[in-house]
Amino acid sequence: MAVISVRNLKKTYVLGDIQVHALRGVNVEVGAGEFVTVTGPSGSGKSTFMHIVGCLDKPTSGQYVLDGQDVSKMSGDDLARVRNLRIGFVFQGFNLLSRTSALDNVELPLLYNRNGLKLKERHIRAREALDMVGLLERAHHHPNQLSGGQQQRVAIARALINRPSILLADEPTGNLDSRTSIEVMEVFQRLNVERGITVILITHEHDIAEYGTRMIAFRDGVIVSDTPILKRRTASEEIKHLPPVGVVTIMNGTETASATS
Amino acid sequence: MSILMTIRVAFKALGRNKMRTALTMLGMIIGVAAVIAMIALGRGATDSIETQIKAAGTNLIYVSAGNFMQGGVRMGSGASARLTVDDANALREIQGVQYLSINVNTRAQIISGNQNWQSRIQGVEPDLPNIRVWPVDKGQFFSAQDVATASKVAVFGATVAEQLFGEGVDPVGQIVRIKNQPFKVVGVMGRKGQSSGGFEDQDDSVMVPYTTAQKKLMGQQHINQVMISAASAGEVASVAGRITEVMRVRHQIFSGDSDDFTVRTMEEMAAMRTETIKTMSALLAGIAAVSLLVGGIGIMNIMLVSVTERTREIGLRMAIGARSRDVLLQFLVEAVVLSLFGGMIGIAIGFGISQGITMFLTWPTQMSSDAVLLAFGFAAFTGIFFGFYPATKAAQLDPIDALRFE
Repeated sequence: MAVISVRNLKKTYVLGDIQVHALRGVNVEVGAGEFVTVTGPSGSGKSTFMHIVGCLDKPTSGQYVLDGQDVSKMSGDDLARVRNLRIGFVFQGFNLLSRTSALDNVELPLLYNRNGLKLKERHIRAREALDMVGLLERAHHHPNQLSGGQQQRVAIARALINRPSILLADEPTGNLDSRTSIEVMEVFQRLNVERGITVILITHEHDIAEYGTRMIAFRDGVIVSDTPILKRRTASEEIKHLPPVGVVTIMNGTETASATS
Repeated sequence: MSILMTIRVAFKALGRNKMRTALTMLGMIIGVAAVIAMIALGRGATDSIETQIKAAGTNLIYVSAGNFMQGGVRMGSGASARLTVDDANALREIQGVQYLSINVNTRAQIISGNQNWQSRIQGVEPDLPNIRVWPVDKGQFFSAQDVATASKVAVFGATVAEQLFGEGVDPVGQIVRIKNQPFKVVGVMGRKGQSSGGFEDQDDSVMVPYTTAQKKLMGQQHINQVMISAASAGEVASVAGRITEVMRVRHQIFSGDSDDFTVRTMEEMAAMRTETIKTMSALLAGIAAVSLLVGGIGIMNIMLVSVTERTREIGLRMAIGARSRDVLLQFLVEAVVLSLFGGMIGIAIGFGISQGITMFLTWPTQMSSDAVLLAFGFAAFTGIFFGFYPATKAAQLDPIDALRFE
């Protein structure tokens, strides 16, 4: 069953006298449990696609059905509700509230959930979510006490707290080094494989895209390729083969040394 | 999001930047404290005047010679020679006049042994203690007989007794000299304190029969003032009217011409003073209100900065499910929390200031619950009014743009 079904999606921005056609008719279906990576150069329309799929923006024309519900004509308040309950966002810049504990950051979406969970229940769910990303022992740390990778994992926990249908990640590894990127991708893969959470992930790094099950490439507002990934990379395996942190530093040091000599 | 949760979120947000929160509140605190202190001061002054008037007796009527409004040479009130003992005796017959005392004033040196003291000498009649509601403390007041015979007897005010004989000494029966004539002290008045004007020590005076004052001390025939007490407070206005009529007939003033005397009731004087104080306190409260306004603008300023600074946070909140109205409410509640907290601290400080004024300057102040409510309400209103624009700005942000904001 398709979680996301997009039909002839178009988006046109008007900037003064110029019309910018960001999306020129996109058709795609994403099934439950898929791990879709979206690639494309900047200006290809992948971000616009993401915003519409994430219900942050409305299409100029076309239809978008999420979980069997047409969301393309919804009002602002209804879209906010959809974002709250069905979509989990992960951003490049983490977007955690500063001077706020990891636990409170993770709980944030529950505050906008109209089911009105009690304080205790909220704490329990936030702890569950932090446990899923392996950061339970850091629950009371503030963002500035966490590494970039840990911050991104807190952001993933925040995205998971309302048990959404899809996890939308917009260049989640853009601010991370390659080792931490693999660690973060391991979390996404685990959530996808073990819990069957649908993931849509934007990236412009080709190797990051290979962690998914299916790759979609955008160019000039249309999908130019949509292929299953046959040789899927497995982050958990790769971590095992990574040298320990200390060795990496020394290796980098020798590399720099050899480059300058 | 429930309102309770919104308030919690607001507290958390304000707690993240304590220094700025404190400084923003300071504007509100100063404004509210100033308003509270000024109102307390104004109320206190009005109240103390009212109590003093009540203590002095509200049914008091003063008739003075002379009038400021007379053309030609203008004499000060009471300086004109046209108020006579006969006038006073005519007034005694008026219906509703309960007590009456002629009053002539001078100043003189009073000598007792090696001590001397200058004071006000009041020539009066035995009804004066009844009119002024001023009991005799030691000895007794002089009698009608003393007035008739112009005997040299004196009743001291408490201050005079203290200055000449020392504290705690009973001067009754002692002989003092006023303008080189021996006077026997027959009584000492109880302590009355400052006059309602606040500048004059009412206990610094000596009372002698008015006949004695006229003949032995001043050598004058006319009188300066007649003090009258109406039978009841309700009759004051009608009695004052009758007094004016009788006086106009006696002084042969044609209708249309202005009086050559002044009839004043205590209520009029009180009303005049209260009016002055009300104007003053309204002025002060106005100035204080301006500082409250400035405090409000400070809140708006900070909230606007805060909205810009937290654009990404707003974007994020919208992305994870906050509706426009949730964001609006959040910033509005933050502004209101700022102003209400500032208001509460301001009320406490204003209370402290008015207590301090009473303690160190001995000015009367009075806190009233409606002033507190007013300040609190104004603080809340300021918060909503000045918080609304920044909150609207926050709520109207586009989540995509907000998330991209650097």
